[in-house]
Amino acid sequence: MELDFSILLQDGNLPLLLKGLWVTIRMTFFALCISCMIGLLVGIGGMSKNKLISGICATYLAWFRGTPLLVQLVLLYYGLAISLQIDLTASVAGVLGLGMYSGAYVSEIVRGSIQSIDQGQMEAGRSLGMSHWQTMGKVILPQAVRRMLPPLANEFIALTKNSSLLSVITVPELMRAGNSIVADNFKYFEIYLTIALFYFVVNFVISTLIRILERKLHVGGVRT
Amino acid sequence: MIQITELNKYFGAHHVLKEINLTIDSGEVVVIIGPSGSGKSTLLRCMNYLEPIQSGQIMIENQPIGMIEQQGKIKEMPQKQLNLIREKVGMVFQNFNLFPHLTVEENITLSPLTLGKVNKQEANKVANELLLKVGLTDRAKAYPEQLSGGQKQRVAIARALAMRPHVMLFDEPTSALDPELVGEVLQVMKDLAKEGMTMVVVTHEMGFAREVADRVVVMDQGKIIEIDSPDIIFQHPSQKRTKEFLNKVLK
Repeated sequence: MELDFSILLQDGNLPLLLKGLWVTIRMTFFALCISCMIGLLVGIGGMSKNKLISGICATYLAWFRGTPLLVQLVLLYYGLAISLQIDLTASVAGVLGLGMYSGAYVSEIVRGSIQSIDQGQMEAGRSLGMSHWQTMGKVILPQAVRRMLPPLANEFIALTKNSSLLSVITVPELMRAGNSIVADNFKYFEIYLTIALFYFVVNFVISTLIRILERKLHVGGVRT
Repeated sequence: MIQITELNKYFGAHHVLKEINLTIDSGEVVVIIGPSGSGKSTLLRCMNYLEPIQSGQIMIENQPIGMIEQQGKIKEMPQKQLNLIREKVGMVFQNFNLFPHLTVEENITLSPLTLGKVNKQEANKVANELLLKVGLTDRAKAYPEQLSGGQKQRVAIARALAMRPHVMLFDEPTSALDPELVGEVLQVMKDLAKEGMTMVVVTHEMGFAREVADRVVVMDQGKIIEIDSPDIIFQHPSQKRTKEFLNKVLK
């Protein structure tokens, strides 16, 4: 077996991969923002006493967690365009699709960490005259966020890896860049190994950043 | 100050408080004692509506708390109204329930600041005065984790006082403490009683009840079985069950 990594330096392959990497990072970042917003809304909404709100949130969770991301992406990009004439660009469909899918998982992380905070904290806040939402904002969430970080790191890393599925709906991200290069020169091992390395580096950075954040947020007795 | 009339509370099918009638006057210190499971903590928690009630009424300074009558129907009062009444009722918990992500000072100032009662400067000044009162001025910047149990509970008392409550509820404030730390918390409570604060205290500290209480309420199986001055309760209780209970705890 002969590996020929010099292929990266030919035909502008490396710049093409780096461009793909940049698209992957951008897509993942925007999806991550959407995912956090949806996760917070659906997570808190799921605990609502209002049956309608908690019902909507439970349905959202069940649907987006219970169907494959690939199917959701294809529905969003091809399905909407062809059947309903809603023509999203590949990038918009991709970011939305990833964000909505991951948001379902984040909502469970949010709910779990809020519910893990001792009931006495809410009672203390309420007994001091603060409202439910004031206590939620000033007492419960600051403690819950700390507990969310480790599972959120997992989720964000999964999100980055899942972004490779966007290649199917023509987003020119890392995986798709690799596919197009391989189609020309059949250097499967070299190219995909390079791609794997790129994903690895991105995820390594994410997990390191979250660990730093965890340490920064560690004040007083707030332990996970 | 507090009037409880014909209060009934259920946990599911379990009838935990039965036809409770109790009036607490301004400036009075009332200690509630009784065997575990008798409903004394639940009764205390009803007094600021941390526990919903099924029938009866609780009035704080002539205002109902929790349930109100509207167009002939009894229903839960709006949150805003409830929050306003709760400001007048301070609560101290068995497990302190300090906010672990905030310093001692921030624990005390959080609620007054959040509710816009005072500005930051005044809030810190009040916090300082209260910490002086509970003997913890040097721990203002510490986090709860760094405090002993007794210190935590004293901070919790200061935190409740920061809202300038008209009545303080104590839910077994010394039960989670090591024996040698009980005294410092009881001392703060005694000082508070001396200043004329209205206090309702659920406790197993019979010494405190005897020394500080104006009246002692004895509960058993969800009912108030006896209310009287500490002298009478501890020396000549009229109820057999009171005698049995006291014999057990005073042994």
